[in-house]
Amino acid sequence: MSVALRSVAGAERPSITAQGVWHRYGPGRGLEPVSFAWCGPSVAAVTGANGSGKSTLLKVLAGLVAPSGGTATLSIGGSVVPNRARRRCVGYASPDLMFYDELSCAENLAFAGEALGLRDVRRAFTAALDQVGLGRVAEDRPGALSSGMLQRLRLALALLHGPAVLLLDEPTSHMDDEGRDLVARVVERHRRAGLVVIASNDEREWRIAEQRIELRGRGLGGAA
Amino acid sequence: MPSNGSSSAAAVWAVLRKECRSEWRTRYGLNAALLFAVTTLTAVSFAIGRLGNRTDLLAALLWIVLLFAALASLSHAFVREVEGRTLLLLRLVASPAAIATGKLVFNLLFLGVLELVTVPLFLVLMGAPPPRWGAFLGILGLGSIALGGCATLVGAVISQARGRGALYAAVSFPLLLPMLAAAVSGTRAQWEGGPVGSEARLLTAYAAAVVGASLLLYDRLWED
Repeated sequence: MSVALRSVAGAERPSITAQGVWHRYGPGRGLEPVSFAWCGPSVAAVTGANGSGKSTLLKVLAGLVAPSGGTATLSIGGSVVPNRARRRCVGYASPDLMFYDELSCAENLAFAGEALGLRDVRRAFTAALDQVGLGRVAEDRPGALSSGMLQRLRLALALLHGPAVLLLDEPTSHMDDEGRDLVARVVERHRRAGLVVIASNDEREWRIAEQRIELRGRGLGGAA
Repeated sequence: MPSNGSSSAAAVWAVLRKECRSEWRTRYGLNAALLFAVTTLTAVSFAIGRLGNRTDLLAALLWIVLLFAALASLSHAFVREVEGRTLLLLRLVASPAAIATGKLVFNLLFLGVLELVTVPLFLVLMGAPPPRWGAFLGILGLGSIALGGCATLVGAVISQARGRGALYAAVSFPLLLPMLAAAVSGTRAQWEGGPVGSEARLLTAYAAAVVGASLLLYDRLWED
């Protein structure tokens, strides 16, 4: 089994609590206030209309965006994880995520592993690439991959450091049936010990979630 | 899981290695900078010949060549990440301060390589008098740290703005002026046998202020 799965299984239970979290990019754009408490092991889903703030919420949870208001707390085994350490506990995959095209897939993941301070970087990226079925194209440039394969590479990045929490934004976009099965297997494996959060409007992606919140932001309809 | 101890140093090192590898493979900045420096020096040399003891012109010309050869590349350290949409990947694996420090060290190395080619060529083609090496290299080194620090900071600030090209010039001009004045004055003084202590102190204070301000500001720059 993969490096990622072993380390998740050894970690203590993660939980995410949000209290009145909201964010504004500009007038009518962003995330309306939302509160929830999710505790692993489980799968949680975030749904909502286009522009309702699903991706923003995931970025807030990943520590990539500081919310305009409210608090989002990540805890592992009851201990709150400081924002600066959040990247080591969270795996994030999103269609926005792009890789360096002058580096190969393996080099991109190796760079991420080194920056995250992993001890055995080669083992970690080899395991992550194998887990998503990209072992054969490890030396290819990301630009040479199809959009579905690129999505698998994003998943490999999210799994690289064996995070306790997986944040997946539209994880099966551009994927074929085999890719969808792969994502389902990864989520199924991760839910046993960790916490998986899926942001999507595709019911095939979120139907396995035990918990779901639907964002009722203005989206495109409200802005009109 | 990642080790905790020297994770920031690991992230800085990873960013630095990634920058070096990317530059080596694309030659995006170095070729353009060297071409500018060599072409300018050759053209000036053909047009006005050797400047001999015109130390005022020599000092100004040296810093003009270094400034314009370096700026085009230094300013792109963050712009490339934004335009390639790789900033998200970078932020997922390293703290803003680690990213900025890695890029600053890379920019200083870049300046070092540029100066390694440009300065000897300048001394030969312009017929400059033999410098007082200690003072000359001291001013050159401090000026480079100040220039690199300022260019990296401004590049980070304007990287996500619209019209960043024009903005870069507008923001960096007043910031670079005192540093350039001190560097030119110090370089001239060392050729004329005068003391360079005041210029060296000014450049040291400027570099410390710019790098210090950068480390304080970077964590706030990319929160949205």
